[in-house]
Amino acid sequence: MNKHLTDENLRIAVDIGGTFTDGVATLAPEGRIWVSKSPTTPDDPGRAVSEVILDLLSHASEALGIETLPVREVVHGTTLITNTLIERKGSHTALVTTEGMRDMLDIGREWRYDIYDLEIQLPRPLVPSDARLEIGGRLDARGAVLEELTEESLDAMVAGIKALGAESVAISLLHSYVNPEHEQRARAHIEKKLPGTAVSISSDLAREINEYERTSTAVANAYVQPIVAAYLEQLDARLSDIRDNVPLRVMVSSGGFSSAESGARSPILLLESGPAAGVLSALNTARQHGVDQVLAFDMGGTTAKACVSAGGTPPVAHSFECARVERFKRGSGLPILIPSIELIEIGAGGGSIAHRNRLGLLNIGPESSGSVPGPACYGKGGADPTVTDADLLLGYLNADRFLGGTMKLDKDAATGATDRLADDLGVTTIETAWGICNIVNENMASAARIHIAENGFDPRDFTMVATGGAGPVHAVDVARKLRIPRVLVPIAAGAGSCLGMLAAPARIDRSWSKPQLVADVDWSEVADQLGALQDDARQELEAAGASEVTWTIGAEMRYVGQGAELPVVIPFHEVGPSTGDALIAEFEKQYKLLYGRLVPDASPQIITWRLVGQEPSQAHHFEWGDDRTEGKVTPDERREIYLPLRGDFESVGVYDRYSLPPGTVLNGPLILEERESTIVVGVEADVTILPDLTVSIAIKEFE
Amino acid sequence: MPQQDTDVIRKTAATEAKAAGFDPIELEILWKRLISVVDEASAAFVRTCFSTLVRDGNDFAIVLTDAKGRSLAQSTMSLPGFIGCLPATVGHFLEAFPPDEIKPGDVFITNDPWKGSGHVHDVTTATPIFHDGRLVAFAAVVSHLPDIGGRLRSNSSREIYEEGLQIPLMKLLDGGEPNTVLIDMIRQNIRVPEQGLGDIWAQVSGCRTMGERLQGLLAVTDLEALGTEVQKRSEQAMRDAISRLPDGVYRSTVQHDGFDKPIVIECALTVSGDTIDIDYSGTSEQLPYALNVVPIYTFAYTVYALKALLCPDVPNNEGSFLPISTGAPAGSLLNPEYPAASGGRSAIGHLLPLAVFTALADVLPDKIWAAGSPNSSVTMSGSYHGERFAVVNFVNAGQGATSGRDGFSALSFPANLGNTPVEMIERLAPIKVLRRELRRESGGIGRHNGGSGICFEFEVLPDASDIMTSFLMTQMKSPTKGLKGGGDGKPGQLLLNGEAIDPTMPRVLAAGDVVRMETAGGGGFGAPGSGQDSNREQET
Repeated sequence: MNKHLTDENLRIAVDIGGTFTDGVATLAPEGRIWVSKSPTTPDDPGRAVSEVILDLLSHASEALGIETLPVREVVHGTTLITNTLIERKGSHTALVTTEGMRDMLDIGREWRYDIYDLEIQLPRPLVPSDARLEIGGRLDARGAVLEELTEESLDAMVAGIKALGAESVAISLLHSYVNPEHEQRARAHIEKKLPGTAVSISSDLAREINEYERTSTAVANAYVQPIVAAYLEQLDARLSDIRDNVPLRVMVSSGGFSSAESGARSPILLLESGPAAGVLSALNTARQHGVDQVLAFDMGGTTAKACVSAGGTPPVAHSFECARVERFKRGSGLPILIPSIELIEIGAGGGSIAHRNRLGLLNIGPESSGSVPGPACYGKGGADPTVTDADLLLGYLNADRFLGGTMKLDKDAATGATDRLADDLGVTTIETAWGICNIVNENMASAARIHIAENGFDPRDFTMVATGGAGPVHAVDVARKLRIPRVLVPIAAGAGSCLGMLAAPARIDRSWSKPQLVADVDWSEVADQLGALQDDARQELEAAGASEVTWTIGAEMRYVGQGAELPVVIPFHEVGPSTGDALIAEFEKQYKLLYGRLVPDASPQIITWRLVGQEPSQAHHFEWGDDRTEGKVTPDERREIYLPLRGDFESVGVYDRYSLPPGTVLNGPLILEERESTIVVGVEADVTILPDLTVSIAIKEFE
Repeated sequence: MPQQDTDVIRKTAATEAKAAGFDPIELEILWKRLISVVDEASAAFVRTCFSTLVRDGNDFAIVLTDAKGRSLAQSTMSLPGFIGCLPATVGHFLEAFPPDEIKPGDVFITNDPWKGSGHVHDVTTATPIFHDGRLVAFAAVVSHLPDIGGRLRSNSSREIYEEGLQIPLMKLLDGGEPNTVLIDMIRQNIRVPEQGLGDIWAQVSGCRTMGERLQGLLAVTDLEALGTEVQKRSEQAMRDAISRLPDGVYRSTVQHDGFDKPIVIECALTVSGDTIDIDYSGTSEQLPYALNVVPIYTFAYTVYALKALLCPDVPNNEGSFLPISTGAPAGSLLNPEYPAASGGRSAIGHLLPLAVFTALADVLPDKIWAAGSPNSSVTMSGSYHGERFAVVNFVNAGQGATSGRDGFSALSFPANLGNTPVEMIERLAPIKVLRRELRRESGGIGRHNGGSGICFEFEVLPDASDIMTSFLMTQMKSPTKGLKGGGDGKPGQLLLNGEAIDPTMPRVLAAGDVVRMETAGGGGFGAPGSGQDSNREQET
């Protein structure tokens, strides 16, 4: 092997999506990338993963002229967990609770997520009532034992599980977030008496108060655990067939990665790994260009998401909902208490259907045309106008070069569908098409505006980073509505998740709840607890290949009596009474920022402690592994597109994005086309190709 | 690019006349923005308030009204009963404080049950919103305070004076200056002043958020014109829906446990063209207990039921209410006279949707629910290991079945009040919860069965004593009625150490006491085993 290559090696990321399995290989430390794509193989997802990895290796080998390249690691993300939960295709699972609590999953919080819907659909529990068992033993709210957990009770539990024939068991006992001992004993008993049965305990996964949400988390983990463990094992075996001793890492929802073993134990932590990786990719682009306040905007075929980040790290939330009955209705899903990058769903995707509602107004979604029949312009029988149809009629999409020309779009079909709706509404076809686009953009901007304001920021200080197939089509107009002055569109937007995985640091989150006044905290107890968790976390980080780790202490704080906590983070240090002062100072700073004024005479309280260890975030530079630019700066053609500020069509230049060399400066309005997406600049703007081929769009209106 | 395509489209554009006023696209965008402004204010309020009743119970609402106090938009997660009340409260403020004297920085406050939302525990504040120096709108919010002084909320209160501090229509802030006299009075009269005043300040900042966010919209549109248009559309949707009902007078009678004798609600619902009037004549007289329901609350829960039945998907505003009127004789339970007590008014108010459903059972057989039960609750306060505590837990019940499905179990209706987690209750109060279970077999049997109630049982810890406890319970004597041949649900019950007790009077609990609250199951729908037949019978 070439000597100078000993420092160079490949890192590979593979992301399994609903339609395609995407992969990216990067040559460390240079940052050259190769991408590959293969249809997802749902019956055996690992097959597509192998194909993508082999393809990447051959591309890289060819480009570098080296036969066997060393592979440092493979980072993996998957929607397997989400899909298993949505489709209810998990393992046969039993739930063990404290006496009197077995109906918790049916009772939930007793409220309705929509007050006017008399036919409301409530989420169906993952474990039916006949697969739930109760055991003795009882703790009080401080974790003291009121009633011992007896051997007889444990034996009865094991007999019950055996009778059910459950493959996986979730154990969730009252107050285990303060004292996990009963849960741990119950787990040990099952492992001893019923070897091979998977066991998930709530205190391991979410050491947080509120039994329903914690139980729901443990149940979801148990439900997917055997399937994910088997899948990761198979994947590891396939990987060994390709290369020996390549460690497999998995992406977790909080924006880091962990070892495959840890992922197999707590798969629920992987739940939102794909979207999290997308955000990391956007943040990496921002970091490359010295941008601090970022609105990451991703829009695909079925959904649009946004994440507000300031200071380079993504915000992490600790509760989440999955498998919602109604996508846009909070409370209609299963609550999951895991750390995950805070992403909000701000709207529907390109496939959303436009219709006239009973008030006579134009509405978009929530129904989507899906991939079959798809938008009317796909020509597969879709009769309803969608966002994609509107984009086509407005001239934003190229009927002949959609997906690099592999799919022709039918403009007549789009016009016909939109015409019918226009007649219904009593407006013109073009007013309807622009109306669809405008409403979708407005809805996304509204949701993002609320989210930015909730976090105490001003959108005018932000830069948007746009990804996803439809993201760059709508980004500039959404930014304009938000008064965000600049939009960045990174390379390989279609493989954004994979780039995010390659930019992700190793990361571990640990937490425990112990609600008390800051004034009442026993600091030596906190120091001991943090120390123990840190030892445990350090081992996992080493297993995930981390060499250098930074630690932070977090606390969820509020004034006594309030219901919502503010997350406060301070650097790790020797914990003592001065820690309380530091936490209060940070809490008050955040509180003022968000709510304007402190509450007089109120006492600050800590609900949950958090420990986070992660590798320092670095800016990762990525560039195409092959030379794509042709140095051609004249437009390929001109096309009429709808300009929102003029309210009319005008002819603009259409460029092939990757034929433009770095340093090119163009003036909007214009169109930049690439295989997976189209950048639409419908207003006056400075459009610059940056050195790494990221496109920067500075909107003139806000100069 | 096929040039002729766009030409064709342009030509169409030229030949079609643009609709006058707001087009269906512009209106949709502006309307959604109005709602999102209110939701943003709502999020700010919930995050900063202190009351578990707000965050776990959803016991609040926020609305935006125009300068005349007519509702324009409401927060998405609002308590149904408040939505009708809030705009009326703004109207009362406008009567007390002439519009030309209202200035920026003013904030109005009241908890007058007749002018607010029906009991002194709810405090309403309203903040005027100005644009270019002109009063253009109000932000108004009402929420249930953790405490308002007086006795613990109990149905045994005979007059409003026992129920707590009364705040008439007043200014909390005058041109930005706090009314320190009023604030001192409130502080002195409530049990947890930091939390109570904290909630009031949270209301103020929620309304301020709404005012700030609205400015962007005011810059691009005429709020009055927009308001008129959205109200017109919602009103028209409601009128269209009412028109589809056959004209006629539809009656129902609903019974509540009452005290010495049952309480009767008589409902005569008249559909006439595109309007509905509901007359509650014949309903029981007002009572020397805290169950009296002021007219605006009567209106609010009646309208809620009609809205959910007739046009649930249309955004709510003043227009939705215009085609509907309600009335009840003065001095009756649904139109009581001062100083009637009303702390437990929800037990009666929550039966009004049932009265409406039952009246329309033959007209909308596939939409209405058989009878279910409103929520019950337990409130405990006292001192444990030297610290004061106060905790409320709602216990919901089974709901009625419909022609198409079983009733919901353990679900809040028509309110939307959540439970307090067991781990949270046990942290706040010295009790051990023995069970929070579905009360199986409590739903009425039918072609579709009623939903199950809840069994909530707890024991006072051995080292605790003197826990003042009050219960609001309902449907304990009167069963929840089945419909179209469906069986009745099982009534609720309250047991202290195994013996049935009357929930009206507050109790002082001692160590080792065991309390068991069982809420009613919902009524069944259709005769058991009747398959599709009962549906066909209804149609013919």
